[in-house]
Amino acid sequence: MGFAASFCLLLFSHSLFAAKVTLDSSNWGLEAGKECVKCHSKTSAGLADQWRDSKHAEVGMNCLDCHQAESSEPDAIEHEGFTIATIVSPKDCGRCHQQEEEQNSSSVHANAVSLIKNRMPAMAGNLGGEAIIAVGCAQCHGSEVKVKGDGTLDTATWPNSGIGRINPDGSKGSCTSCHGRHRFSKAQARDPSSCMRCHSGPDSPDRAIYEASKHGMAFFAHRDKMNLDADSWVAGKDYNSAPTCTTCHMGAAGKLPSTHDVGIRNAWNLNTPVSEKQTLVIFEDGDKLEIPASQPMPGRGSEMTKIDGSLGKIKMVVPADRRRKAMRLVCLECHGKGFAEGFMSQFDSAVELYNEKFGKPAQAIMSALYEKGLLTPAPFDEPVEFTYWELWHDEGARARHGAAMGSPNHAWWEGLYLVSRNFYSRFLPQIKEVAGKDGETLIKQYVTDVEEHHGWLSKPQAGNPILGFGQGKQSNE
Amino acid sequence: MSNSSSALKIGPRIVIALVVAGLSGVIFMLTLIEFDHLTSTEEFCTTCHSMELAAVPYRESSHYNPASGVRASCGDCHVSEGVLTATFDHVMGTKDLLRQIFGPKYDNPVVNLLHLPDAAFAAREWFNDRNSATCMRCHVKEAIIGKRTDTLKVHQEDAKGKGCVECHINLVHRKVPGEKTFKRDGWNRMVEEEFNLETGMAEKILRGDVEAPAVE
Repeated sequence: MGFAASFCLLLFSHSLFAAKVTLDSSNWGLEAGKECVKCHSKTSAGLADQWRDSKHAEVGMNCLDCHQAESSEPDAIEHEGFTIATIVSPKDCGRCHQQEEEQNSSSVHANAVSLIKNRMPAMAGNLGGEAIIAVGCAQCHGSEVKVKGDGTLDTATWPNSGIGRINPDGSKGSCTSCHGRHRFSKAQARDPSSCMRCHSGPDSPDRAIYEASKHGMAFFAHRDKMNLDADSWVAGKDYNSAPTCTTCHMGAAGKLPSTHDVGIRNAWNLNTPVSEKQTLVIFEDGDKLEIPASQPMPGRGSEMTKIDGSLGKIKMVVPADRRRKAMRLVCLECHGKGFAEGFMSQFDSAVELYNEKFGKPAQAIMSALYEKGLLTPAPFDEPVEFTYWELWHDEGARARHGAAMGSPNHAWWEGLYLVSRNFYSRFLPQIKEVAGKDGETLIKQYVTDVEEHHGWLSKPQAGNPILGFGQGKQSNE
Repeated sequence: MSNSSSALKIGPRIVIALVVAGLSGVIFMLTLIEFDHLTSTEEFCTTCHSMELAAVPYRESSHYNPASGVRASCGDCHVSEGVLTATFDHVMGTKDLLRQIFGPKYDNPVVNLLHLPDAAFAAREWFNDRNSATCMRCHVKEAIIGKRTDTLKVHQEDAKGKGCVECHINLVHRKVPGEKTFKRDGWNRMVEEEFNLETGMAEKILRGDVEAPAVE
């Protein structure tokens, strides 16, 4: 399949709006579930009221429609004569919302546990511990929910609303991360606040970036015109005041259909030591994989190792520029072509600057030190390892996200300025300290000899009044 | 007249026999009552070590340590009201004693825990068959006010006609899932993990292929 065709598939394989539920309504509104409602209206009035306020209640669904379980399911429990499960997994939601479930299950959201599984023991495991993983990492990435022998959910893994949660039924993800539980609100998922719960903090400060961006500015000023509750929510048609996170990353815009695969329109990976444009590989079974665009493009029909380690047959390959085009279609609902392209060009240049000036040299120096045995293989047992980690994972990601979503402050002061300060005043001195002569050679090779980016270091006489140079002399005169 | 009165004449022997029989009956009944009382106590039940294992979580429960100080003994819950039914329950209960003597080694905590679900299922069935009558010796459904807003309403409306144990299980002893959703495999793995046993040991112990290891 050619690129044009694959682009079309990417764009139009899904319906324009959230998919219509095709299951016949005789399949829900279970009579027995009305019993649940009667009692829970008294015992847990809050959640019963939320449900009453939901679209689910409006169409006649009750507790049992979502919570029903087969007694053979791992987390099935007996509750007042009913066999139910506490966790309503994406698989359960998929009984009616099949398309959303399929799109989500192969998304980077659903794979949020697999993606950090190898790294987490060295980070939160060694530096923190199980208890902090449960309330920290796992609350965003997701836990692997365990059912104990006595039928209860292991409290080390539950409650959990992580977006990549691995559920007892084997499904990945948690629809309630964004939609909430009993109200199951579209509006809530469309509101930036639902993303901000996790996309905030030093490594992914998208909350602060959005709030500081023109898009955020427009959203908060015109929130009442956002039509967040509408059944159809197409940018440029049903609302035009501002885009939210959902608009650009998942939402319908013009002819671009909505999707529950959140990363599908991202051309770059912005959370790696060095950013790379990324190719999307789609497997026959619907699973997906991101590979760096620098890797040779795999052929359709060939086999490749998937995130979970198993082998999959490739159905389709979507290159980064096609993904960018999909994203740009959203921009075009409000901006001119030239404006959108100019914005993307500024963004790309900022990412490339980060890559070339700091990301790549820092990565090359660290790799050389590990190779030469000048650093122990264990991460975070030497100060320079923290410095390097923060350089790309925190400040570096901040700079790149700031550029991607239009927050000047995060692009520079909270971002690349801190990367720069970190690089010149902590990273390089620590390299010299830990690796002596070898360190100096590496710094020369990767930093001081690179005139384009670091040439200013070799001109100590180039004075500037910013820190007062030359000003004392003037006042004396 | 004199003829008929001689036919009804009750001699001193008969009187003595009746008194003795009556007294014996009274003594027999009193003995039964005392026997039922004695054999319903925690002290008596836990003379079997296997029952001591069941009593450990009981002593942590609200039925042992309620704020009111009203403590439920083993028999208060597990033996029916009334001397005849209580005696019947005790007679039926001797099967536990026979199992203790001739059955698996319930005194061993591993064996005990492996068999606990069966005991729990049987006990729940016993309660449900009697519509949780023993609970209602103390608990009066109409008077359950509770601390949360609608506890009274729930018990009067939603729990109408239901026995206590239909909703309330795992109040006193170690938690066991409902019988319908019980997963033997998961339970066995939990027991193995708890006692540091190799995977698969639980099945072997249950089959009697191997002795359960001695554990505290």
